Amino acid sequence: MSKYGPALLSVALCVGAIVGYFSLLRVVFIRNHPALYVAAFALAAVIAGVAAVRAPRWPNLTALALSVVLLGLGGYFNFVFARIPAGPSILRVGEPAPDFTLPDAKGAPVTLASFRGHTPVVVVFYRGYW
Amino acid sequence: MQILAISPDANERSQELAERLKARYRFLADRDLAVTKRYGLLHARGGPNGRDVPAPATIVLDRDGTVRWLTVADNYQVRPDPADVTRAARAVK
Repeated sequence: MSKYGPALLSVALCVGAIVGYFSLLRVVFIRNHPALYVAAFALAAVIAGVAAVRAPRWPNLTALALSVVLLGLGGYFNFVFARIPAGPSILRVGEPAPDFTLPDAKGAPVTLASFRGHTPVVVVFYRGYW
Repeated sequence: MQILAISPDANERSQELAERLKARYRFLADRDLAVTKRYGLLHARGGPNGRDVPAPATIVLDRDGTVRWLTVADNYQVRPDPADVTRAARAVK
């Protein structure tokens, strides 16, 4: 490997993790394993760290700084910021879902119980504010 | 099978799109998050500008309104695998 090899590899891992994550968000495995981008940043930091200890030159030190910053930001985002604290567990398999009436997109009220006896229902809660 | 999609949004455009695609989606507006809270799915200050939002959750109910399958996200980057939801919905009578 050339003297810039480890630094380039480290930067490529960081960029690849970011580009790969966002471009493959529609792939269920990628979207549902966001810790993978944190792992890529960690690996990039290890590679740059080892290279910087062996040869403390600017390419290695720059790659180390970049990967450590991304590891910190990515780790914080995935493990702290994006975490949803568990709420009260009201829903249980085998128990009835609480009934509700809510307006649909045209303002017409829809009652969950009105589907009883007619059809199974999939209720999806999503974050909104789009 | 009926899909009810609940969020604080009104979603007229989402509903139009679903109808064009002939998807069995009905978008319901939980403006004050009262139903979200009753379901224990409030993610306090989890949304943009510190607004409260629902925790992403998918609940499969049978014909009697009994919960048969459910998943609640513990990380908002994560959503259930559509294949798992489809399997759960198909298993329900």
